[in-house]
Amino acid sequence: MSEYDDEDMEYSDQDDYEDYYNADRDVMSPPHNPDAEYFPVQCLTVDEVEKFLNELVEQLCTSIHVTPSMSKVLLYENKWAVQEVLWKYNEDPDKLFVASRMKTLQPVTVKTIRDKFVCPVCVGPVAEELGITSLACGHCYCDNCWRCHFENKIKQGVSTELSCMALNCELLVPEEIVLSTVNKPILRKKYQHFAFREYIKSHPLLRFCPGANCTAVIKSKESLAKKAICTQCETSFCFKCGNDYHAPTDCATIKKWITKCADDSETSNYIAANTKDCPKCNIFIEKNGGCNHMQCLSCKFDFCWMCMGDWKAHGTEYYDCSKYRENPQNGSESARAREALKKYLHYYERWENHSKSLQLEKQTLDKIKERINSKVMTSKGTWIDWQYLLDSATLLAKCRYTLQYTYPYAYYMDNGPKKELFEYQQAKLEAEIENLSWKIERAETTDRGDLENQMDIAEKRRATMLQDFFHI
Amino acid sequence: MNNIATQRIKREFKEVIKSEELAKCSIKVDLIGDSYTELKGEIAGPPDTPYEGGTFFLEIKVPETYPFNPPKVRFMTKIWHPNISSVTGAICLDILKDQWAAAMTLRTVLLSLQALMAAAEPDDPQDAVVAKQYKEYPEIFAKTASHWTNVYAGGPNKNSDFDTKIQRLIDMGIERDQARGALSTYNWDLERATEQLFS
Repeated sequence: MSEYDDEDMEYSDQDDYEDYYNADRDVMSPPHNPDAEYFPVQCLTVDEVEKFLNELVEQLCTSIHVTPSMSKVLLYENKWAVQEVLWKYNEDPDKLFVASRMKTLQPVTVKTIRDKFVCPVCVGPVAEELGITSLACGHCYCDNCWRCHFENKIKQGVSTELSCMALNCELLVPEEIVLSTVNKPILRKKYQHFAFREYIKSHPLLRFCPGANCTAVIKSKESLAKKAICTQCETSFCFKCGNDYHAPTDCATIKKWITKCADDSETSNYIAANTKDCPKCNIFIEKNGGCNHMQCLSCKFDFCWMCMGDWKAHGTEYYDCSKYRENPQNGSESARAREALKKYLHYYERWENHSKSLQLEKQTLDKIKERINSKVMTSKGTWIDWQYLLDSATLLAKCRYTLQYTYPYAYYMDNGPKKELFEYQQAKLEAEIENLSWKIERAETTDRGDLENQMDIAEKRRATMLQDFFHI
Repeated sequence: MNNIATQRIKREFKEVIKSEELAKCSIKVDLIGDSYTELKGEIAGPPDTPYEGGTFFLEIKVPETYPFNPPKVRFMTKIWHPNISSVTGAICLDILKDQWAAAMTLRTVLLSLQALMAAAEPDDPQDAVVAKQYKEYPEIFAKTASHWTNVYAGGPNKNSDFDTKIQRLIDMGIERDQARGALSTYNWDLERATEQLFS
């Protein structure tokens, strides 16, 4: 018996290996997109979304024989996972209804003898023409009170979360009851509008475009923290949290960082003061372009805008002004606080610096276009010869964007080899894009090869920074 | 005021008057004027708490949309409690906000408040200073709450140690309530309270 067992084990082991290798050659798996940031989305109009949601509702209605409005409640409570709802329904329908706030385990039984019924809310006799309604929980109220309750809640912006009036009763009111009770057209419209928004918000694969005045709804296949771009207004955002796209920082961290930056607005105001002194001749300098390699107009001193040190030190060894050095020997509380503020300012300054450079992106592009024009006019190359400059400027912006979001990530990282490695890579990318930026501003047609080489290096460095984020 | 609200308040008023709690003197509601929009509540401090023996008055304002929206309730009697502001008397209680249900009544509100006095929720504080003391120095908190009950709500426990400290500050020209507030805030550390008052 044991021999047989052993044999069996071996055999299955081998089987596993075979499976493993087979899986590797699987032709059915989708072609792997080399760009980890690739994220296909669909941009839908309000009507299209409505159709899409209605299809799901119908699908459920036909499968388990519930009314469309009940089906909406079920889907809303279960994040629109039709298959999951069906599966739960087949397992135990009562459990599903209780979990979806459509039924209670022990409904109250009130004998509603019409003449003796006193509505617990208005405590008055119920008028002849009014009905008495209860949800599946059995809490009975007169229709007039239900209407007041609905109208009051709708005015407060409540829609899908409308619930029973009883204390601690969380049963949801289905859409059809609300719409058959409320008769003011404005409130009905409001309710439908709010409910529709809530349905979209509760669907994990649908997002409102955060762009100003944009009504589009973005649909994806997975709910991931990747970059979604609205095709209508070209706003880009993180699909998961709706903030600006923030790789390699995760959603929770970027939220913490943004709140922190908003809280420390006084300091940031101070930092946002645009000028710095030339480290050599102390003349005021305003930075109006993307590159960190500055040359003082009056004394011709080359320096780095970030660390205000001599630029010569940056060329040979690796660019280390993106790395923050923690000062270890600090005892008192105030010194620690000062140290914490200094640390924050270090990261904030770099974050803000990149963000400012990006804001100047359009200006930089215009400048490049102007330069291309003037070059072509003076017959230094054809228009086509110069197009690579625009590509490199776009890449530069992309790198700056990623780089900007590496700073919050680094700020919240624990000290250790991982952080050191990350900051080393960050410094490399900083150095490469400063190089790129410098080259773009001074490029001639003959520099094309050199510049494309530089672009490739920068993009590779950028991909390295994002590696961890996409492979967790 | 709309019909349902008036009808409800009239009815609830009777309910409280008939209730057994009133017989036990633990809750009471009085009308202010005859509009039914403003009422005065009264709760006895629950037994085995620092509030025992005190009588606490409440300001109850009934909104136009009652009972679909909760009544606005505030402590008129000063009280030292993590969920009630020691300055304004504002209350932090879920049923007075989003957990309100139309089927609730003034009686249930008053009983809930009484329950809140007996079991504070320091993790959801209205008064952060009090909540901190409640969590870090429960003994000082109990003494302070009992002292406030004695001074403002007619409670039985006089604390001569606290009174002496307050008197010291009054001698320096500080108003009585302000002195009590500062001392309570700084866990009855006279030096720190003085420092704060004169800084």
